[in-house]
Amino acid sequence: MALPTRRDVHRFWRLMAVGVRTHVLYLSRSGLELVMAVFAPIVFATLAVYLFRAGDQPDRLLQAAVGAGLMGVWSAVLFGGGGAIQEQRWMGTLETLVAAPTRLSLVLLPITFATAVVGMYSLIATVAWGVVLFGIPLTPASPLLFVPAMLVCVVALGMMGLLMAATFVLLRNANSLANGLEYPVWMFSGVLVSTATLPEWTRPITWALPTSWAARAVQAATGGGEVVWPSAVALGLGLAYVALALVALVWVERRARGTGTLALT
Amino acid sequence: MTTVSHASRASRALRLAFHGGGLSYRALFNWTTPPMFIGTLLVGPLFQIFFFVHVGRSLHVADDRFYLLGNAVLATSMPCVYGAIMAVANERRFGTLGAVLLSPRSRGLIWGGRVLPYAVNGLAVMTFMMLVGALVLGLTLPPSTLLGLAQVFVVAAMSCALFGLALGALAVRIRDVYVISNAAFTLLILFSGANLPPESMPGWMNAIGSFLPLHHAIEALRALFAGASFGEVWSALVLEVAVALGYAALAYGLLRFFEWRSRANAALDVM
Repeated sequence: MALPTRRDVHRFWRLMAVGVRTHVLYLSRSGLELVMAVFAPIVFATLAVYLFRAGDQPDRLLQAAVGAGLMGVWSAVLFGGGGAIQEQRWMGTLETLVAAPTRLSLVLLPITFATAVVGMYSLIATVAWGVVLFGIPLTPASPLLFVPAMLVCVVALGMMGLLMAATFVLLRNANSLANGLEYPVWMFSGVLVSTATLPEWTRPITWALPTSWAARAVQAATGGGEVVWPSAVALGLGLAYVALALVALVWVERRARGTGTLALT
Repeated sequence: MTTVSHASRASRALRLAFHGGGLSYRALFNWTTPPMFIGTLLVGPLFQIFFFVHVGRSLHVADDRFYLLGNAVLATSMPCVYGAIMAVANERRFGTLGAVLLSPRSRGLIWGGRVLPYAVNGLAVMTFMMLVGALVLGLTLPPSTLLGLAQVFVVAAMSCALFGLALGALAVRIRDVYVISNAAFTLLILFSGANLPPESMPGWMNAIGSFLPLHHAIEALRALFAGASFGEVWSALVLEVAVALGYAALAYGLLRFFEWRSRANAALDVM
């Protein structure tokens, strides 16, 4: 296999930039997406703030708001990544995307990154909500690492979304999988509260999820702790998920073409 | 000319409500396939219970039973809110709303009958959550609570389904009613009291919650398990019934109003 030329690299970045911009604009115009991305996380942030107060941990309210935002990022990637494929299927454009000379994975990657970017609305909304309504002081423990940790979170989750998108191309009932995956990932990733009270057998699940490490990095930047190492692990795991997604996409595409099930809804 | 007897009229009304409701459920509910039913109505809400139990344990807010009881009842909102909305919204989406509204039959029977299968579905979901949740969390369900449990579940399911129908009525006019259903579903998580102890809820939140479905049902269920008398449990349930009747009246009024407006503007099938 030939190495990518400078022109290939340029085309890749151009595709990513145009794709992410297009899909972020498209998703930002959907009322449903905005409810998912902003309204629901704000409701969860309110609940989290009252829960942390009830739990006698008023000093961790910023972490509660950030945790609720991270919950929103995951929901956006989960429903956005899977839903984007389903939507292409419903609109009848999935066949065109699969038939295009550009690899399907390169077409899907901007979509999943765009869902993670839209997910960032959640994080911004919950932190702003906490600061404005509950008077939470915006004083992250590592102010310089707070934004980079959030960006790493977006990239890691975007990469994780590609694997889900790959799976969702094949599954007709992808929504059922998505609906069942929201709470488990929140729980096993420790986005809102630590996973320390979970049973020992859940540890491997926690370690295998990029969301766990990304959440750990963002929470550490907020409340104190190691930021760089969890961010690096989140990115590493994200890359592993991309590798898996590339393998899965080749198989899924070949199978869907062979059985003629690509367009079935 | 023959006169239709009262018995025959009653039988036709029951047939319209029950048979029509059943047919509508099969045709319009998007989640009847096994993967969707299991993933959306069973697995998702079950993990919602475990998530809040985990949060409760980590923050020492309340015990496992508190979250199991609250979220088992809350689980009914998935089939009841979304289902009742689909019962109206999907008629419009599939282009059959006009045919339904051409019918000379009672709107109360047509739309009221549609709520019943979702209430039964909600009942089944709550029972599943309670049984599996108690089993996994190692909690016992004393036999003395079962009768009260059944009463709370029936009232909660009906109340939530009627709330869903009131929201579904908006689908006659609004295109993307699922924005409203998602928002309502999320608000119930906050205001129903399923996840916050009453003493930790601010007054405004309690006040809003008392006008929403499930709030009083959850209160009744917790009172039942705390060993309260049936009288105390029923005082909360009566409030839940009042909320349900309020939403039934609202749903009926909105459906009639939007039907009239849509006819007047010739906008029934405009998507």
